[in-house]
Amino acid sequence: MKIRFSTLGLLLLPLALFSGCKKDSDSLEPTGSVNFTVRNVAGSQDLVLNNTVATTATGETFTTETFEYYLSNIKLIKSDGSTYAAPDTYFLVDQAKPSSLSFTVPGVPAGDYTGVSFIVGVDAQKTGLTDPATFTGDLNQANNMYWTWNSGHIFLKLQGTITSTTPNKPLTCHIGGYTDPNNAIVTATPSFSGAKLTVQANHTPQLHLVANVTKVFDGPKPVALSTFTGAHMPSAQSVQLAQNYAAGMFSVEKITTE
Amino acid sequence: MPLPLTRFLTGLTLLLGALSLGSCRDSGGIDPEPTGPTPYTLKVPAGFPTPVIPADNPLTNEGVALGRMLFYEKQLSSTGTMSCGSCHQQDKAFTDGLAKAVGVDGVANPRGTMSLANVLWSNTLTWDGAFSTLESQALKPLENPIELHQPLTVSVSKLQNTTTYPPLFLAAFGTRTITNDLVLKALTQFERTMISGNSRFDKYLANGRQGFTADERAGLVLYTTHISPGSVRGAECFHCHTQPLMSSNYEGKFFNNGLDLTFSDPGRGSITKLAVDNGKFIAPTLRNITLTAPYMHDGRFKTLEEVLDHYSDHVQMASPGLDNMLLTGINSLPFGTHMDLTATEKRQVIAFLKTLTDSTFVTDRRFSNPL
Repeated sequence: MKIRFSTLGLLLLPLALFSGCKKDSDSLEPTGSVNFTVRNVAGSQDLVLNNTVATTATGETFTTETFEYYLSNIKLIKSDGSTYAAPDTYFLVDQAKPSSLSFTVPGVPAGDYTGVSFIVGVDAQKTGLTDPATFTGDLNQANNMYWTWNSGHIFLKLQGTITSTTPNKPLTCHIGGYTDPNNAIVTATPSFSGAKLTVQANHTPQLHLVANVTKVFDGPKPVALSTFTGAHMPSAQSVQLAQNYAAGMFSVEKITTE
Repeated sequence: MPLPLTRFLTGLTLLLGALSLGSCRDSGGIDPEPTGPTPYTLKVPAGFPTPVIPADNPLTNEGVALGRMLFYEKQLSSTGTMSCGSCHQQDKAFTDGLAKAVGVDGVANPRGTMSLANVLWSNTLTWDGAFSTLESQALKPLENPIELHQPLTVSVSKLQNTTTYPPLFLAAFGTRTITNDLVLKALTQFERTMISGNSRFDKYLANGRQGFTADERAGLVLYTTHISPGSVRGAECFHCHTQPLMSSNYEGKFFNNGLDLTFSDPGRGSITKLAVDNGKFIAPTLRNITLTAPYMHDGRFKTLEEVLDHYSDHVQMASPGLDNMLLTGINSLPFGTHMDLTATEKRQVIAFLKTLTDSTFVTDRRFSNPL
């Protein structure tokens, strides 16, 4: 009886270990990481906070004091159309914090990728249905990108000064909202322009993104700064600005492998 | 290249071994040495960010206990009359009740003592963000001529010559030889345990938003509301005093809140040397705010009523670099020129601020003077 029991135990031991640790067994598949870098610009100039004068398509100008946004739900797309959706990817990019301008997505299956997509903001499931006390990391309320009155995260924050009006005007865009009709969750799909991102086991290729702050106002739904009074809650105006930055703010500058 | 079978089997064996030892944790699950200091377990309040502890200064029970001794140790001052705890008094949420801190020689600092509540989450320390780590910050008040005014090396030799401290350093750090570095490490370990997250506001959130009076609830709404002139009234507090820490220490941002038209103290600008940062200061925590009067970096306001009067009626709207939220935070357009809170609204905001007092924090014996 004793012998039979311990033999059974020995046989079951590895099973029990693996069933509790699925993640570890998955990691036996070949995977690599993708490092994302973001370079915030204003047109052709690198964005320097409190300094760079950004010019919109219609010649209006503004300076930027704060420029922050979430990139989340990152998907990498293969040429056959299949995608890898990186789980639990929520990154806060803050121009004031150089370390936030680069982040790495681990566990990407090896292969050749020809496209990328990501939410500029936070998905509704996460931002709307999660108890705010459970937000960790970049999503934590202490990052000052969250509204406490059931409106979810601030997806993009652009603050500065409109300098093409007399007198100058404060510029405030706090864009968020996850329910219709003021759902400002948008997805950007900057093109690889035919380039390939090759992921191999134990390699970390880099995807270099550029984000052009003027595209918050320029785009399919242009906004005139002269009459802009600010956006600071879920609204039709916020959706309009979100559609602009989804369409044109992000581009792929280059893809490199170390 | 196919992996040789032996290497694969070796790998598998190691993997199984690691799994059975370390279960499913991500980080290596090697048990601590049987001797040496024992890890201190921080209790993080719900919703607070995950604390970041420097890898070279993990919290230990022995280190924290030593830090507590040092925090109240007057031999760390040139006159033997003051310790960290002289200005950071527990019953005042680790402030001193003075407009400007006064050191061993009776000379006032240009700014007031800051609360140490939740300093663990401060990525930028002091009013101007001169320091980004507690270890580097802690040196300044020890040596500053208008604070404790004693070179740390002198403090170290005083401690080394006691019978009390060498055994405590041995227990905390494995050596009887006291160094500057170890004194700072012990002090900051203790400071990192000073967590305040048990106020009535915290209980209100934990209890499904129950337990506030009508005024307190209205004050919270004003606190967290951005003004939409003509439709939504607000007080805009949350932009800078961000939940859950009720400060900008975690985000690490600085603001001109319209105290002055010209700046006798350049604040953040004195660190960055950028004109745009002149007159900007950290937004300090509002937790325990009823205990930390007087208010502002120079203690110019004696009461919360004066503070609310400032934000409502007396912000210098032409102050260069005034924060956008105050520039546009005008409740009564088109004729309003300031935030213009009503007397009722001011009372409600103050009622809410009073819920941020954490009586357990200011009476917790773990933070009191052990000497």
